[in-house]
Order: sequence, then C-alpha cells, then structure tokens
Amino acid sequence: MRSGGDNRGRLLLISLIVTALLLITLDLRGVQVITGLRNGTQSALSPFQSVAATIFRPVGNFLSDVTQLGRTRGEIERLKAENEKLRRTLIDRKNADADLAQLKSVLDLAGTAKYKVVNAKVISLGSASSFTQTITIDAGTNNGVRQNMTVITGLGLVGVVKIAYPNSALVQLVTDPAFKVGARVAGSQQIGILSGQGTNKAVLQLLDNQTTLKVGDVILARGSVNNRPFVPGVPLGQVTAVDNAAGAVTQTADVKLYVKFSALSVVAVVVAAPKDDPRDALVPKAPLPKPVPTVTIYAQPSETPTP
Amino acid sequence: MFARRFFISFPIFAFIYILQESVVSQFKIFGGGFSLFLIFALLWSALGTPEMGALTGFGAGLMMDLSQSTSGPMGQWTLIMILAGFTISYLGYGDDNFRGNPISLIFTIAAGVVIIRLIYLILGLLLGSDVGSTWSVIISLFSSAFWSAVLSPLLLPAVTRVHEALFDVKSGK
Repeated sequence: MRSGGDNRGRLLLISLIVTALLLITLDLRGVQVITGLRNGTQSALSPFQSVAATIFRPVGNFLSDVTQLGRTRGEIERLKAENEKLRRTLIDRKNADADLAQLKSVLDLAGTAKYKVVNAKVISLGSASSFTQTITIDAGTNNGVRQNMTVITGLGLVGVVKIAYPNSALVQLVTDPAFKVGARVAGSQQIGILSGQGTNKAVLQLLDNQTTLKVGDVILARGSVNNRPFVPGVPLGQVTAVDNAAGAVTQTADVKLYVKFSALSVVAVVVAAPKDDPRDALVPKAPLPKPVPTVTIYAQPSETPTP
Repeated sequence: MFARRFFISFPIFAFIYILQESVVSQFKIFGGGFSLFLIFALLWSALGTPEMGALTGFGAGLMMDLSQSTSGPMGQWTLIMILAGFTISYLGYGDDNFRGNPISLIFTIAAGVVIIRLIYLILGLLLGSDVGSTWSVIISLFSSAFWSAVLSPLLLPAVTRVHEALFDVKSGK
C-alpha cells in the first residue's frame, strides 16, 4: 500500500469532498438548479427508457416468471406442449392481452368511481441501489400529470406521483417504506394509517383504540383534502393478520395489498375526482363459490315384490 | 492528466449509466437486482491511482445522484463514491498481490458494494429517509453482494482491457 498521498492529491480529495458537501447543503436548502439537473437528466433518459421497455420488457417478464417458477409451473407445462412459433406468437399476444386486461380493469374501476384518469405504461422499475420502491411511467406534465396525484390499477392503489417530468413521471409505490396513506375499513368505517414495508404486505395502524379489526376486512384509501395526494375509496388491500398485543395502544394489522407490483405494466393517474366520495363502491367483489355437482338418486320401490 | 483521464472516461460511464437506467432497470430479479453502474465504477476506480479513484468516484456519484430514482439529496452518492473510489484504489495501489489476484479484487468489489450501500443507508437515516423493514434491507444487501460477486468476474476482463487500452499502462503497475 502507498504510505501517503502528495499534497496535490490531498487537495483534490478535499476539494471533491467539499463539493459533495456543498451539493448536499444546496439540495437540502431547495436550490432549484439541483432539481433542474435531475429533471433534465430524466427528460434525456426517458426516450432511452421507452425504447428499452419495448425491447427488454418481455425478457424482464420472463425473468420475473423464472423467479416465480413454482407458481407458474402449470402454465409452463401447458406452454411446453406448443411449438416454437406458436409459443412466440402466444407470448407476444399475452403481453398485449395483459396490457389490455389491465387497461380495461383500471378503466372499469375509474368509471365506477367517476375518476378522470390518464393511462400510462410503466417504462422503468426503481433503482437497485437505493432503498426506495418506485416506477417510472410514460405520462408527464404534458399529459396533465402533476405531483401528488393518485396512481391506480384495476386492482387498487399503486402509489402517488412523486415527481412529474414533461414526458414521464416518477411514482412512489405503496410498498415503499416511506409511503403512508390514510385508510379506512370498508363497512365499519374505522380509520387508520397504512404504511409500506418494502414488501407486498403493509401495516395498518388504527387511530381509535375502541375499535377492532378482523381478518378479511377490506381496506380503502380515506382520501385527502382536494383529492391530492389521495382520492377517496381506492381499494388498498385485505387484512391477513391482526396484532392483538395486550400492551398496544391501538390495534395493528398486516394488510396484503391488492396490486401485483411484480406485474405492473399499465396504470392510470387520477387527474380529477368527483365531488362525491364513492364510499364502498370500489370494494372488490368476493369470488363466487364454485358450484359442486351433486348427484341425486331416486329410489322407487316396485309395486309388486319380486319373489 | 486528471482532467484528460476524466474526460476520456466520461463517455464510457455515460454509456454504462444509460444501460443501467434504461435496460437493467427493466428486470425485476432476486433481491431487487443489481447496480451495474456501481460495480463498474468500483472496478474502474480500483485500476487507477487513489487520486484518480476519488475523481472517478466523484463523477460516478454525481451521475448516481442525478438518477430519478435516487431518494437522497443531491451529493449523497457523490460523497460516498468519492470516499469509496479513493479507498478501493488506495487499498491496492502499488500492491501487485492485490491487483494481480482477481479473486481478491472481486471479493473487495463485492464487499465494497455492500459497505457502500450500508453507508448510504446510514447516511440516509441521518438525513431523515425511511428505509423499510430490517428484513427487506438484509435481503437487499445480501442480494447486492451476490450479484456483485457474480458480475464482477464477468466485467473484470473487459474493464481491465478497456482501461489499459485507453490509458496505455498496465493496470496495477
């Protein structure tokens, strides 16, 4: 190892560190130039991201499927039976169908609640080096998207627009550890705060210690003043476990989020919400029980007994 | 000399940065994936002098700070990467046992990525950022070590050759 640097080297190192500290100070004080630099970089990168999303998203989806091989084994077995050309066609078709289904589902949800929405495609997932959970969408201020707007899919809340660029926007996901949203329980109207945990599960903390939660309760967004950042009534998830610790001031519960964040491709940004709160109108319908076939046998005794 | 090397390196870093932000970010893989740019920046720093390592770290950190998905304030990555670049090149400067042995270099990069992310996490906490559950942090750090250990051997020959070709000196000599 080297015993020590020369004066020039030390001066360079100190200058660089001072520059970095100066940047941190300027940014924390909210100097606009710094924000402008980030906006400029994102504007320059968004065309590359759009192209890369078109080319590499099928590969990304494939890798995502590989990590969930156990769950998709049945589907893979079915696909194995088909020939190569048909498989390729099917993958392309599936991609388009998935986008269409997500788009239809999000429009259904928005239509029920009378939200005015702007649809967008996910063009990038969040950074691997930071501990945040974000996505980038291909709609920005040119499409009417602004900061602090609610982002949804047909299944429920995806997140909130953190930064809006001219042609793209950065969305903070519900799963982000820093994400918090006012929530209420459908039906009982108990209110609480839902916090992201970095996984597909979130934690709900009730505000009132007199109320109780139960497994299966549906959690909805409570809404914000002027509908920003959250419009009311958007489904968040379902309670999967309730913490009934004796010493706790208020009850907390684990909530499984409705949205499948690993398969996000089409989302909608709510640009305007109706004056009326949709209340519980968006609560997902419980799956219908599958009818079990029953066989009824009628036994009819013969009139004359046989010898 | 620093300025010349800095500007020669810039297009390569810009290319890797665009690759990271546009292509690598499309893949959702185990543990949140990997940062190709971070691994590349550390490998590049390790092949130069400590002063050049600090300057490389400065440029790389500045680009990481400009990423739209960076949650911390501008300069947080810059500060960490200056120190990381300086340290990683200082460790091996003039030590042929270190640079001549790819295993030690790869191990240092893998450990370096984890330490850098841990420092970023701690600095973020000091600056008021949220980091999520301990479990997700552990998984994320573990996966970054794993991916760094997997990718560094693949990148090392190419990075070494490009570095030698550009600066016309044997790396580590």
